[in-house]
Amino acid sequence: MNVAEAGAAAAPVPAPRVGVQFDRPDRRYAAEQELAVRYDVAGIEPAAVRALERSVVWYTEGKGEEDLGVHRFERLEGAARLAEALPGGTIAVRLPASPLSYEGVVVKIRWCVRVRLFFASGRDFVSEHVFDLGTVPPARGAVERTA
Amino acid sequence: MRLPRFLGKKRGNRRTGSQAWGSFGEALFYAALVAAGLAFAALLCAGGVDADTAGSPWARWWLWLFTLLIPGALLAFGGAGLARSIRAWGKSEERRAAAEGIGELFDTPGPDAAPAADLPGVPTCEDLVNSPGTILRYRLPLESPEGWTLLGIGLFAALWNTVLAVLAVNAGVDLWSGRVEWVLLALLVPFLAVGAGGAAVFVRRFVLATAVGTTQLEISDHPLLPGGRYDVLLAQGGAGALESLDLALEMEEVASFRQGTDTRTERVVVWRERVKEWKEVEIAPGVRFEAHVTITIPDDAMHSFATEHNAVRWRAVVCGRPERWPAFERVFPLVVCPGRIVSAAARAVEVPA
Repeated sequence: MNVAEAGAAAAPVPAPRVGVQFDRPDRRYAAEQELAVRYDVAGIEPAAVRALERSVVWYTEGKGEEDLGVHRFERLEGAARLAEALPGGTIAVRLPASPLSYEGVVVKIRWCVRVRLFFASGRDFVSEHVFDLGTVPPARGAVERTA
Repeated sequence: MRLPRFLGKKRGNRRTGSQAWGSFGEALFYAALVAAGLAFAALLCAGGVDADTAGSPWARWWLWLFTLLIPGALLAFGGAGLARSIRAWGKSEERRAAAEGIGELFDTPGPDAAPAADLPGVPTCEDLVNSPGTILRYRLPLESPEGWTLLGIGLFAALWNTVLAVLAVNAGVDLWSGRVEWVLLALLVPFLAVGAGGAAVFVRRFVLATAVGTTQLEISDHPLLPGGRYDVLLAQGGAGALESLDLALEMEEVASFRQGTDTRTERVVVWRERVKEWKEVEIAPGVRFEAHVTITIPDDAMHSFATEHNAVRWRAVVCGRPERWPAFERVFPLVVCPGRIVSAAARAVEVPA
């Protein structure tokens, strides 16, 4: 899922497509389990990419302001390092024990793999792919609500 | 170069506004504050402090301090914001978060690490295990927002009535000397009403808070784990009869968000289980009511979670209905850690697809 693109230049807009393949087709992982993701970037000239960031993060969704935690972050710059990461690469990491994915009423916790491309034109493009950590069932609803 | 779009839209997860222009605007705002602070300070320094009015060197020193307070605040606030904007310029939110050292905190824990200390997003329970119980291992602390409310009302009533006393003494002196200050007397009437009301509310709340007696909760282990069973001792002090006393286990979600200039917090109880209810409880003076129960955390329970704006909290809630007093509720926070023991649900995940 490509979620955002931002930038300020009027140069021709690249239309990257980032495909990912998780080592578990259902994208559900247990706590402290190994995660391996293969990604492929298409629709761009590798030479137009200035930097690439690969990260495994969790963030909150819902009524509250967003909180973000980075479990793994890697920034690749320079032709030699980018050649290893483009047009495709692998992200492998051992997941932590928490926080587990959670679908609450006003608090939700999502885990995702993000691939962010920075173009020479100044634009950037991020592709986000959600997966589940743990098997906590969703909240059934509000028993009592106070504000 | 594309001009900035001032009215951006949010389309799903995608914003039409430019992040770069947003950061630029923010940096410009802080730079303007720094410039205003410098200009203000320069003007004040050029004007100097009048030596005649300043008096002694100490008085001059204080005068300089107050004179430079406003430009100093502008420079500090603007400078800090500008430094933050420059540091964040062109960096993704992941990179900023990683640079703040969050990544180090969230490293995969070792097998022998203590619970919570190496569990990202899970609050520690150090404050919950530093008080030993009389019978069970830990005595849980009481979460008591009512205590702070009582203190606030007490302070307000004390201050208000002090001001009222000063005004009343002045009015009395005037009357004694044969003068009638009608404005002061008219002012005393609403002041007296507010003062008396504040004192009455304080006394009522104080009596309610102290009349029922203390509630204690002890637990056999902490932090808790999904699927775990724990012995709990509930002890209720005081004297008199309670129509009912019940103990419940709750999971609450807390989300704080900004609405205009306000920060609001919404709390939603998403899971509640009544552990036990006792009817017609008689408490004799000096002999507290004691009951042993067992609580069970569900196998697939969400663990405790706390970040800057969001939280999932576990708590034990004791509710009582005294015969002569209004009902009371006492909350004891708990911490549930993610299960290290692989639950049945997690084992299902680990089966290769």
